[in-house]
Amino acid sequence: MSYRASVLATIIWPLPLLALNVYQYLGLASEQQVGQILSSKYGISSFSGMIILGTVVYLLYNRMLWGTGASLQEERFNGTIEALLLTPANRMTILLASGFSSLLEGAWWIVGVFLLSWIIFGVQPAVSDWGAVIVALLSTMIALVAVGVFFASFFVLTRAADQLATSLQAPIRYASGVAFPVAALPVVFQLLAYILPVTYGIEALRSTVVQQGTLAGLVWVLGPLYIFTFVLIVTGHFVLRRVEAQAKRTGSLYKI
Amino acid sequence: MDLSIKTNSLVGLLGPNGAGKTTTIKLLSTLLLPDEGTATVNGFDVSRQANEVRSCIGVVTGGERGLYWRLTGRENLLFFARLYGVREDMARPRIDELLKLFELDDRADDNVEKYSRGMKQRLHLIRGLVHDPPILLLDEPTLGLDPNSAVVVREFIKEKLQRNQGKTILLTTHYMEEADQLCDKIAIIDHGKVIANDTPGELKTGLRKTDVLRINATGVPSSLSSDLKQVEGVEEVKMSVIDPVTGLTELLVHTRDAEESLPQLTELMVKSGVRIRLIEQSKPSLEDVFINLTGRRLRD
Repeated sequence: MSYRASVLATIIWPLPLLALNVYQYLGLASEQQVGQILSSKYGISSFSGMIILGTVVYLLYNRMLWGTGASLQEERFNGTIEALLLTPANRMTILLASGFSSLLEGAWWIVGVFLLSWIIFGVQPAVSDWGAVIVALLSTMIALVAVGVFFASFFVLTRAADQLATSLQAPIRYASGVAFPVAALPVVFQLLAYILPVTYGIEALRSTVVQQGTLAGLVWVLGPLYIFTFVLIVTGHFVLRRVEAQAKRTGSLYKI
Repeated sequence: MDLSIKTNSLVGLLGPNGAGKTTTIKLLSTLLLPDEGTATVNGFDVSRQANEVRSCIGVVTGGERGLYWRLTGRENLLFFARLYGVREDMARPRIDELLKLFELDDRADDNVEKYSRGMKQRLHLIRGLVHDPPILLLDEPTLGLDPNSAVVVREFIKEKLQRNQGKTILLTTHYMEEADQLCDKIAIIDHGKVIANDTPGELKTGLRKTDVLRINATGVPSSLSSDLKQVEGVEEVKMSVIDPVTGLTELLVHTRDAEESLPQLTELMVKSGVRIRLIEQSKPSLEDVFINLTGRRLRD
């Protein structure tokens, strides 16, 4: 029963945020007028599609951050971290498994949100290359798992990681262009935007789902995204090793 | 601490709270790094070869934690079996066998949150055995079990795990009779140091060089211990309060000849205003050994 309630809540949860972002524009002008401005200034062909894809990636980032990133911390709170660390299983495997289970969970969630968006906001996908959509989606999700892996050690290292992750939410939402094109930002923030994997994920999905983008056109987006993914996973791996070694010296990993 | 454990032996680690029993188990199971010194398990260094150590040990800790409450008992075991690298087709029959042995088979598919404390403890034990390790570190393995289950678990540890399967076992326990019944050797530790390490029989024999008089009394002044030591033949007096409310105190008097010392001891105690409740000449138990060595009861 609680599981079904959780599934329902998860699907309904993003809708107010989507509606908020959409109606902020519609409060200023009609959908057609907003679409024309975004199209002429930024080449955006679907205004609600832009918002929905941005919001979905952002919410997925949050899910991965709190799902994968906080997974070890949750194990600690549940008292299962000791049992996990007693096994010879690779720590990164444990972490990545948690990430990929969040990813699987996220996949049907994305489908659900899209279907609801289609019905409520009338988003019409404009896809010319379904292969590109799948690559963009998987690459984005894997990059977000990498973000979770990177943050996992910090969650274990310090309880302040909760506050850090929470305080990063609004800046990331702003700088990654969740509800507007990154090109609309001041140059300084545009530079900031492109050091965030979330930005590349949003752009890859916008390009392929509502802009008829192809795989070839994704190279400039996916290239940096893969580099970020690699760096985050490798850094996360080393930080996790250090954190585990430190915790084994102090015994802090097993205390709540 | 200097301690070595032979293959296929069952060694008990006894000590008062805070003596370092759990820390020792955590060090040997690679959950903690030693500040100094080395420890090896099955020939592997716990600091440098942690993965090899983890592969050859099964660790059983007591308590409510360490299990996924929203998973069933069987799901918990399959999950941990996979983490230990046991293939599912091998893990399933082994898990079935262990569940049956520990009489959890009829509840194996219930969520752990519905388990009693004793059932959780049995599941902890099965989890420690699921990958069939040659070495077991058991931290209070019968804690929270009802007496019948505790007997089953003790028999299983001794007969099946040690005698039949030849496993090497280090266990900590608060139950003296459990240590006495199960262990080939007992290491008593206090303040992180091994203060005795021998068979239960030898430890008790060591104490039997003297007679032990167990005296329960109230109104015992703190100076009584030193007064009693003045009596001829008395070698040692240990005093511990059994009931702080009534002041009931237990005195363990080690004397060369109980019959010789007893009249003088009783006379001295009566003169000191002590109300004697019980006097018995006891054979030294492991508890006496423990108290003699640490000055405390195991549960202190």
